[in-house]
Amino acid sequence: MSAHAEAHHGPPIANHSSRVNASILGMLLFIASEIMLFGAFFTAYFFVRVVNGIPWPQPPFELPVFVAGVNTAILVTSSFTMHWALQSIKRGNRAGLQAGLLLTFLMGLVFLLTQAREYSRVGFAPHDGAFGTIFYCLTGLHGAHVFIGLSILLFMTIRAFRGHFSPEQHHGVEIGGIYWHFVDVMWIVVYSTVYLL
Amino acid sequence: MRRGSIVQLIVIGVLAGAIASAVALIPDWLPSSASREAGRIDFVFWFVTGICIFVFSIVTAVIVYAVWKFRVKPDDDSDGPPIHGHTGLEIVWTAIPALLVTAIAIVSAIVLAKDDAAGANPLRVNVYAQQFFWSYGYPGYRNKLSSVLRLPVNRSVVLTMHARDVIHSFWVPEFRQKQDLVPGIHATLHITPDKVGTYPVICTELCGFGHGLMRSRVVVMDSTAFEKWAEKKGTS
Amino acid sequence: MTTAVEHHDVGPVRQGLPPPPGGLRRVLYPGFLRAAWMTPLFFGIGSAIVVLCRWWGGWHPIWFGEIIVLVGALIAAPIGFLAGIGAFDYWVRYSIGAPTEPEDHSGHGAYSWRDYFRVNTDHKVIGMQYLATTIFFFLAGGLLAMLVRAELAKPGMQFFDNQTYNGLFSVHASLMIFLFVIPAFAGLANFVVPLMLGAPDMAFPRLNALSYWLLPIAGIMMLSSFLVPGGAFASGWTGYAPLSVHQPLGTIFFNMGVQWAGASSIMTALNFLVTIITMRAPGMTFWRMPLLVWANFTTSLLVVIATPFIAGSQFFVMFDRVMHTHFFDVGGGGYPLGYQHIFWFYSHPAVYIMMLPGFGIASEVISVFSRKPIFGYRLMALSLMAILVLGFSVWAHHMFVSGMAPWLRVPMMITTLMIAVPTGIKVFSWLATIWEGKINFATPMLWAVGFVSMFVIGGLSGIYLGAVPIDIHVSDTYFVVAHIHYVLFGGSLFTIFAGIYYWFPKMTGHQYNEKLGKLHFWLTFIGFNLTFFPMHLIGTQGMPRRVSDYAPQFGNWNLFISVASFFLGASTIVFLYNMVISMRRGAPAEANPWRALTLEWQVSSPPPVFNFDEIPQVVGNPYEYGVPGARHAVLNGDRAATETEEVRH
Repeated sequence: MSAHAEAHHGPPIANHSSRVNASILGMLLFIASEIMLFGAFFTAYFFVRVVNGIPWPQPPFELPVFVAGVNTAILVTSSFTMHWALQSIKRGNRAGLQAGLLLTFLMGLVFLLTQAREYSRVGFAPHDGAFGTIFYCLTGLHGAHVFIGLSILLFMTIRAFRGHFSPEQHHGVEIGGIYWHFVDVMWIVVYSTVYLL
Repeated sequence: MRRGSIVQLIVIGVLAGAIASAVALIPDWLPSSASREAGRIDFVFWFVTGICIFVFSIVTAVIVYAVWKFRVKPDDDSDGPPIHGHTGLEIVWTAIPALLVTAIAIVSAIVLAKDDAAGANPLRVNVYAQQFFWSYGYPGYRNKLSSVLRLPVNRSVVLTMHARDVIHSFWVPEFRQKQDLVPGIHATLHITPDKVGTYPVICTELCGFGHGLMRSRVVVMDSTAFEKWAEKKGTS
Repeated sequence: MTTAVEHHDVGPVRQGLPPPPGGLRRVLYPGFLRAAWMTPLFFGIGSAIVVLCRWWGGWHPIWFGEIIVLVGALIAAPIGFLAGIGAFDYWVRYSIGAPTEPEDHSGHGAYSWRDYFRVNTDHKVIGMQYLATTIFFFLAGGLLAMLVRAELAKPGMQFFDNQTYNGLFSVHASLMIFLFVIPAFAGLANFVVPLMLGAPDMAFPRLNALSYWLLPIAGIMMLSSFLVPGGAFASGWTGYAPLSVHQPLGTIFFNMGVQWAGASSIMTALNFLVTIITMRAPGMTFWRMPLLVWANFTTSLLVVIATPFIAGSQFFVMFDRVMHTHFFDVGGGGYPLGYQHIFWFYSHPAVYIMMLPGFGIASEVISVFSRKPIFGYRLMALSLMAILVLGFSVWAHHMFVSGMAPWLRVPMMITTLMIAVPTGIKVFSWLATIWEGKINFATPMLWAVGFVSMFVIGGLSGIYLGAVPIDIHVSDTYFVVAHIHYVLFGGSLFTIFAGIYYWFPKMTGHQYNEKLGKLHFWLTFIGFNLTFFPMHLIGTQGMPRRVSDYAPQFGNWNLFISVASFFLGASTIVFLYNMVISMRRGAPAEANPWRALTLEWQVSSPPPVFNFDEIPQVVGNPYEYGVPGARHAVLNGDRAATETEEVRH
């Protein structure tokens, strides 16, 4: 033991008892929790649509399946650009990272604006029966997650343009990317259950 | 373990069992029984109580004996024997509780099935609950309405629940039967009253500020008196 | 020691935060001063967003009080407060790519009392913050219970009107559950778990700080609902829809309070899971973890998986209320029972969230004070996992009379009764652990053994409630009130007290007063049984719960219960007095007064700021009492090891 053991020093380096990175594990657990939140909303969907058996979509309303389908394609594409961004920085290609993040952000934004436009055109409101309630709450919950995902993307983009991240240090992109992929996959579930089924 | 300590352990266990039995038998734990379902439910109650007294006695015997025999002075620095487990014992105390709860589950399921089976030609009554009063409709008697639930003795009754605003719960302690009334859901409850008398109807689901006052009565009467009352026109 | 310095070349570490700047810049410095203006600022921003949206959407009235309270006061203002005290400073700097110092430990440790009143990243300080806050809400909740019992002392109405009375027991239960039992366990674990794992801190210290600061927000929200027009939320802590949808304004304080408390629990649970998985000391395999760590691991899994469901249920009630949606409204196609399914899918696992950490504490205390290894360590850990899994399959036993599908009742009864098996395994293993031990009945052990005996009674009354026919008779009666208090008071609270007394020397560096501790136990133990045991009787006899007035036949027992409950309430004064005087004047505590093997006792009392000079090497099981030469861990390299060897011979 050297003399400065008594003096103030930083903490000892913690042992890594798992190969998994702590932040990535934290994000995965958080996503588990998020899936359960969607689960609670889907349970409400189940009660209204299956247990109560209300017609879906409830006449006279109709769902814009085609527009939402195009929107789905946009969101799914944004997952690929996100992946490209991460692969770029892993190889040290900063321009690829920046372009990938920007494209992802823009596609997410287009998705969210299309969704908002759909709300204003769809012709019914959350208080128009349980069908409207479930439609708005499931898509709205997902929209809120897109918004959070967009905020994370925005911050990642800012950091990417200010010279952060490197082939050695890219957990920030990786973790935000995992969240974005989660938002995409969740949309596929929402789209299939609310629009298609 | 010496024979003396086993005897002491058993004595404590028997004492604990005796005290628990006294607690179980001296006060009137259950209100008087006024339906066939109540008799069956009381049987489950005492069946479970017997098992619980058994488990309680064992646990109490071990705790009291341990507290009495194994305590040491705070300045005693010695350690106990390093026993890490005993597979046989662990299997025993996994298996025996599993058997006991299985027995309880079987008895409960049988009683539940019997209680739910309405006899032939039951009397049908609609129970209406709203904040904060009860009313009862008799579809078999020109939808006669009553603020008191009148039932004939020894006839199977099926109550159908109708809630008009929030969730309420219909309970007659003497019948041991209870059912929530949920808006939009028309659950049924089956009762066979077997004792003439007047019993309280209590709302047991918090339904707003008047919940504590949401009371009514059930009057069990002999069948001729019931028919006479039911045929009479008008509400009562 | 050199390794730590090599890896952390960050220059000298400051001792606490630098003094705040003088003059106007002080207003921008994180702390209560900044919170004092940022809270109203965010309230204004939130309200402005509401007004703008309503104006833009053409909804009338544009100025709608209820939504302004919801968005402005219950969502935006708390965020402003958190931003003001500096909970987000680091993340904001990181997000915009500004320079950050990830290894800056200035927010760490407590050097004066002021350091307990700021955003602190030290898990030990956060643990203390948690405990102090939860004890405050415990007292508040306890006082509400005293008011409830005062009203119930006689039949008829005494002090309160019905709505106020309903508010009293609703807030009592919500505070005790969301602001006391759950976070008090989180607080104890916050202090102890990283030490037990041989970790310098939690995995995410800043997230840890944030999750603490969400708590007082939730608590104040629930308490302050008494002040709004219409009074506090009054539909019970279960808040069943559709009643809760149509209650006065206070209900949204409950809806949002639960969200803040739930967010806090989820963050803490994530933190525990990541810490336990990634930061165990070398040699600390899962099968060498103390049972408290196992207990918090399973509890955290429950929290992460289940808590979103209560969040969902409260969101739905709130939407039904403010947006007029139809989740639970039959007229619009909603399904009222859906609330109960979603609510209990969280709230039954929540019972285990409130119990499993207590099992962990009891295991630690019983092993140490019996001087014996835990009997059947692996089965103890596995039974925790069994409870975790079964806990998700029993929620509908709260709904046997609810009008749900009748076929669900028997399967739910079977799973419910089956949970008695792993729970029984734990009780029998504790009994086998004390058997032939050298039992030292110091205060923590009294609480732990008291817990085992009371929990047995609570468990047995749970068998009654699990059996459907009996449950049909006793559900929503005082039998249920007795049962939950035997489980949550005799179970959770007794183990919280066991934990507080057990780790008091470690946390404060002082020894508590043993005589007062024992007095506190006996007063509580007697008062508890006198208060809650008779409730079983009046319940089966026919007294429903949640009523301010009752049939005269229950008058004598209720008077008895009320007097006993005042006695029980008064016993808390002994506890508080003991804590306060012992913290200031108690004898200095040794590093390891209980001669325990787990890691937290191998460092000084209180522990150094970063817990360990060097990460310890774990070499054995944590409960090897009575095994000659057995060790759990080696600290500070070989030098310390040889020293101990010398002492031993």
